[in-house]
Amino acid sequence: MEEKKMTERESLELITAMITRTRQRYIGDGNILLMWGYLTVIVTALVWIMLITTHNPAWNWLWFAIGVVGGIATPIMSKKSDLKSGVKSYSDKITSQIWTTVGLASVVATLFCVGFGLKGFNAWGMMFAIPLMIVPMAEIAQGIIVKEKSLIVGGAIGLCVGLFTLSLATCACSSTGSCRCS
Amino acid sequence: MKELDPILHSQLRLAVMSILMNVEEADFVYLKEQTESTAGNLSVQLDKLSNAGYITVTKGFVGKKTRTTCQVTEQGRKAFEEYVEALKGYLNL
Repeated sequence: MEEKKMTERESLELITAMITRTRQRYIGDGNILLMWGYLTVIVTALVWIMLITTHNPAWNWLWFAIGVVGGIATPIMSKKSDLKSGVKSYSDKITSQIWTTVGLASVVATLFCVGFGLKGFNAWGMMFAIPLMIVPMAEIAQGIIVKEKSLIVGGAIGLCVGLFTLSLATCACSSTGSCRCS
Repeated sequence: MKELDPILHSQLRLAVMSILMNVEEADFVYLKEQTESTAGNLSVQLDKLSNAGYITVTKGFVGKKTRTTCQVTEQGRKAFEEYVEALKGYLNL
């Protein structure tokens, strides 16, 4: 492409062509999403198994592994991804803000659990709401933004499973009359 | 009829602005690939857009390599919208 004058029609055609090219959305290689997905599933399963088998609430400290491992890996992986694509779209920005919100919600939830713990209450069971509800909802939101069906369907399935699991946990708590359901 | 903005009414500068209007930011290599231009020519045109206040050009380092990132400014966004409106007038759209 050279620097040359154009007719009005050529200008309009050029604008349309460039917009079409840019709109060929860049989803990325999905490695960051996969990393968070695997990390959340592994830690959630690990916490659940350890709580069931040992009945020791200290295993809830494992929740921190999600934030620590994910928090270190994400900036490294996203830097590589940005460099590869060479462009940052508005959907990238919104997606980043959604997951930052999820991360902050996790931090706040953790602080509440620690706070309640210091007062002698066990509120760690609430942490299951993050992987079971908040993460699938963020996944659906991202799927809608980048128009990726697998994210929408995967998130919807995750949300249904999460709601079902929380319903079961609530029923179990109601029947025993105990708030110590972690 | 309103005159077309001479800064924008040029093939390569208009292509760059059209891309930047649709993204948050784009780097030099991406713009070069999308516009199929030469590095020298693109560099000159980016300077012209930057001097007009239509884009901001940020130069940084990633490791040992330099990375030039471009973003459209509010002034550039307004100029582009006015340019498109003027085009519509010329083409009776």
